[in-house]
Amino acid sequence: MAPSVKRGRNRGLRAALVALAVIGLGISAYLTWVHFEGIAPVCAGGSHGCETVQSSRYASLAGVPVPVLGLVGYALLFVSALVREEIGAYLGLLVALVGTLFSAYLTYLELFVIHAICQWCVASALVMLLSLVAAFARLWRLSS
Amino acid sequence: MILALIVAAAIVVAAILVAISQLGGGGASSGEVSKLYAGVPQNGTTLGKGSAPVTIYLYEDFQCPYCGEFSRNVFPRLVKDYVKPGRVKLVSEPMAFIGPDSVKAAEAALAAAKQNRYWGYYYLLFANQKTENSGYVTDDFLNNLAQKTPGLDMNRWKGALSDPSLAKGLEKVQKKASAEGVNSTPTLIVEGPGGKKKLTGDQAQSYGKISSTIKQVGGS
Repeated sequence: MAPSVKRGRNRGLRAALVALAVIGLGISAYLTWVHFEGIAPVCAGGSHGCETVQSSRYASLAGVPVPVLGLVGYALLFVSALVREEIGAYLGLLVALVGTLFSAYLTYLELFVIHAICQWCVASALVMLLSLVAAFARLWRLSS
Repeated sequence: MILALIVAAAIVVAAILVAISQLGGGGASSGEVSKLYAGVPQNGTTLGKGSAPVTIYLYEDFQCPYCGEFSRNVFPRLVKDYVKPGRVKLVSEPMAFIGPDSVKAAEAALAAAKQNRYWGYYYLLFANQKTENSGYVTDDFLNNLAQKTPGLDMNRWKGALSDPSLAKGLEKVQKKASAEGVNSTPTLIVEGPGGKKKLTGDQAQSYGKISSTIKQVGGS
């Protein structure tokens, strides 16, 4: 494959990662805002799942609200997508993998411990999973 | 090689985050407790205005995991939607049947009730709940929660821990529970001008069911 084509595809993957990071930042920023405002997140269909999850004991980690961790994770993902070199691809994969594993744990809590579903959290988990796929594909392209 | 290192590092970081979460790092803060009860009167084990038309009696054991679920997930909304506006008052009936730690936890909460600070302690006990009968209810654990309870005078609380009236209070709850036919926790008894309803099991975990019961007994 010609290097220019490879670079072009990688640019597409980096653009996808930027887009996913921006969506993730939006979700995390909204949930951080409702946390500090002390209001219930808007949940589709009038469900109270979002509020139940956000008011559960798992909504913070050692005093740090989980959405703030999301902000940090998506910000790092955004930065990794802007870095062209391999280091950016490795950083992106690391952040997306940590994010996906932690999101899987949070989804498990929603389903089996809190017994409520927060649609925003599920959306964020999906964004993180897609980011993992994109980050892995980016690294794959670079190394092949 | 680098890929393997990244995967290993990611697993370690994620495991640390999960461990912090599981260790109760998410237990409520004093600020959270203050915000939940802001402007709500407390009188012993009663939360809310005495004039509220509906009373909900909460029969719970501080070690019971289902009570923990109720108190972490449903209780804050009941406070916000019904207790703060003065439509409902809550009366805690701490049962202590799971084990000796249930008695320790309940007595520590009742000692806080002597200063009308019961509900902050109640909330923190459930927010920091661990596996039942695992021995997590140590003196340090109880002291730590007392320090976190907004407005609690530590010296008075420690002094009240040896008060024989605490054990009597628990006996009274047991008798009341027997009289009401309470045989599982959490049990909610919702009482108002329109009658009395008992909610157990899944019904006691459903905000919608509790809400419709409040309306049924006259709290709409």
